[in-house]
Amino acid sequence: MEQLLKFILDMKKVSLTCIIDDDPIFVFGIKKVMELINFSDGIMVFRNGQEALDNLKPIILSKEELPDIILLDLNMPILDGWQFLDEFVKIPCAKKIIIYVVSSSIDPEDVLRAKSYRAVSDYIVKPITIERLKEVLYNFEKV
Amino acid sequence: MINKEKKVANTTLGKKENYLKKELYNLIKNDSTVFDFLQDVTIDGLWFWDLDKPENEWMNPKFWTTLGYEPEEMPHKSSAWQDIIFQEDLKNVYKNFAEHSKNPEHPFDQIVRYKHKLGHTIWIQCKGLIWRDSKGKPRRMLGAHTDLTKLKNAEESLRKQIDSFQHIIDGTDMGTWQWNIQTGEVVFNERWANIIGYTLDELKPISIDTWLKYAHPEDLKKSNELLQDHFSGKTSVYEIEARMKHKNGDYIWVLDKGKVVSRDAQGDPEWMIGSHQEINEKKKDYERNRLFIEQAPSAIAMFDVEMNYLAASQKWYEVYEINEENVIGKLYYDIRTRTKKLTNQIKEIHQKCLNGEVIRDHEKEIKSVNKATKWLLCEYRPWYSNENKIGGIIIHTSDITKIKKEKELQAILEVTKDQNRRLKNFAHIVSHNLKSHSGNFEMLLDLYIQENPEVEYNEIIQLFKKASQNLSETVLHLNDVVLINTTLSENLSSISLKRIIDKVIRTVSAFAIESKVVINNNVDENILVLAIQAYLDSIILNFITNSIKYRSPDRKSHVTLTTEKNKDYVVLKIEDNGLGIDLKKHRSKLFGMYKTFHPNVSNSRGIGLFIAKNQIEAIGGDIEVESEVNYGTTFKIYFRYEKS
Repeated sequence: MEQLLKFILDMKKVSLTCIIDDDPIFVFGIKKVMELINFSDGIMVFRNGQEALDNLKPIILSKEELPDIILLDLNMPILDGWQFLDEFVKIPCAKKIIIYVVSSSIDPEDVLRAKSYRAVSDYIVKPITIERLKEVLYNFEKV
Repeated sequence: MINKEKKVANTTLGKKENYLKKELYNLIKNDSTVFDFLQDVTIDGLWFWDLDKPENEWMNPKFWTTLGYEPEEMPHKSSAWQDIIFQEDLKNVYKNFAEHSKNPEHPFDQIVRYKHKLGHTIWIQCKGLIWRDSKGKPRRMLGAHTDLTKLKNAEESLRKQIDSFQHIIDGTDMGTWQWNIQTGEVVFNERWANIIGYTLDELKPISIDTWLKYAHPEDLKKSNELLQDHFSGKTSVYEIEARMKHKNGDYIWVLDKGKVVSRDAQGDPEWMIGSHQEINEKKKDYERNRLFIEQAPSAIAMFDVEMNYLAASQKWYEVYEINEENVIGKLYYDIRTRTKKLTNQIKEIHQKCLNGEVIRDHEKEIKSVNKATKWLLCEYRPWYSNENKIGGIIIHTSDITKIKKEKELQAILEVTKDQNRRLKNFAHIVSHNLKSHSGNFEMLLDLYIQENPEVEYNEIIQLFKKASQNLSETVLHLNDVVLINTTLSENLSSISLKRIIDKVIRTVSAFAIESKVVINNNVDENILVLAIQAYLDSIILNFITNSIKYRSPDRKSHVTLTTEKNKDYVVLKIEDNGLGIDLKKHRSKLFGMYKTFHPNVSNSRGIGLFIAKNQIEAIGGDIEVESEVNYGTTFKIYFRYEKS
């Protein structure tokens, strides 16, 4: 059974996931969970919106390997999640990148705002659980 | 004089003459020194004129000395005086001379002016008598001078004085009176009569009774007292404002002033003179002011220069809490007000104002009878009498305690708003950050258990997990509270209460059935309340679950929801027959955070009522509670509704 699941998961593997979050504990945890469920081949981590933008821009423009999924925190230093989104959607990109906002905020206002971005697929409230991450993976496969 | 003597001589002819007279006449005939004495002491000039040779005329020495000349220097010629007499008067002299020479009955008697050697005018009464011969022909003329200059000057200056007094009296429109206190004789001028609408002729015959007739009977008593005071010397002048009956029937006000000017040998007053001045307009003005002030809806008072009350409004008495029934005529500083200790400062302000300054926005604090502090805002203004003189001051006072309090309240409100904003900010950050941390805790623990399945049943790890869950839950509640927006009242919508209640009942139906609690929704379908749906859901859910949770195990439990509508609110009554709450003990903290009152009921978190109350208040509602231990609890929730 476990073998089978592993097989199925292997089949639909996300090749590259991008985590944009300034909280090292969260990053540690999510990486651990991703490992556990074999979420992604590669993981790139940026500690704030600016760092992410500075690194992703050249990748997108040079058409190198782009992340399939971005997990974006909202509350970050320098460039926060919203500012990152505003800048990111301006970059012309051939590939559809799925963006999840992952935040501890349960303020409905934040949720509504996040959903107002077409580029944002969903809003995930921290702490992110194994089940929730599996759901994300499942949805990715469906797309 | 000669004329007179002649008359005397004629009338006494034939009668027995007095021997002394006879002697004197003989003496004059025989002794010229007697005549010299007479002419020197009784007459200011004697002349004797030769009418046959009119250029010859004899003048005695006094004739010339009266006019300022040395008798030795002057020729005995008629031309000598004709040169220095006023030429207009000379014509008159000729005319009279012509008449007298024709007709001895016509007297030669006139007042003429001579120019004194030093240049001034000498007034001379000149009388003369022609002596005729047996055929009646005028032969000689005898004349005598009397110097009237002193008299004339005195008369002149008197006339000037009278004229100027007349001018003054005319200018002031004053009626004048003179009164002989002993005889009752009085003299009024025309104006005196005019003031009361008559001419002097109309009032005749005039006596002191005229005054008594027109004076107001009520004022006469006072008038008499004041007169007695003056007669006895207590007062230097008699003065009264009194009423006189006008021809048109009205009473008019007159300022009556007078002074005794002469007294008889016994020292009793004899003549008194005085004036009447009409003050009706002035009085009317004052009356108008007084009326205006008394009726004014604000606190106003009018004072004279001594700070005596002239008028005060009803409101003035109220604001200053003055007990006296009437303060008019009393001194400001003698009236007990609650500002007493500030008297010196106030006196200074009054003085400034009496010097013409307008003082605005003077705030003062007084202690009210009920010990409350009262704030007054005063304005001081001088008022001017007709003569542009400051007649006193007017003080206008407003009680600004309310405004002051409102301002204080406003300030408190601002502070509260600010604090609230900061608190909210703080709560936001705390809840957000706490949530990140508690989330991390939860996640790490999960991962740890995932990686080390053997620890899952370790007691410490289990407690750890429980603690982490509690922390997460607490943070969630905190978030809920923070998220209740307190300024939502504007964007509320009309929602059917029954529909929401039904929805909540469906949600809790499993719990209700399990707990054997019957829920009766007796709310009319048409009842709409102003709310936010999410809040309304949460509010109803909270109360219904509370009722189920705190049901009594001793009886068949039920929850009944009903509404009634009043002027401002839809009141939702949620009534249960549960455990009840001891309100005596718990009322104050019933809606507090993390307050629970039923130790035996598990699952009570003490957050529901707190959130519900906040949500109710956020949509402009209110909540009341009635409860009795072991009988049940009734919550009354007041919702606003849309009025058509």
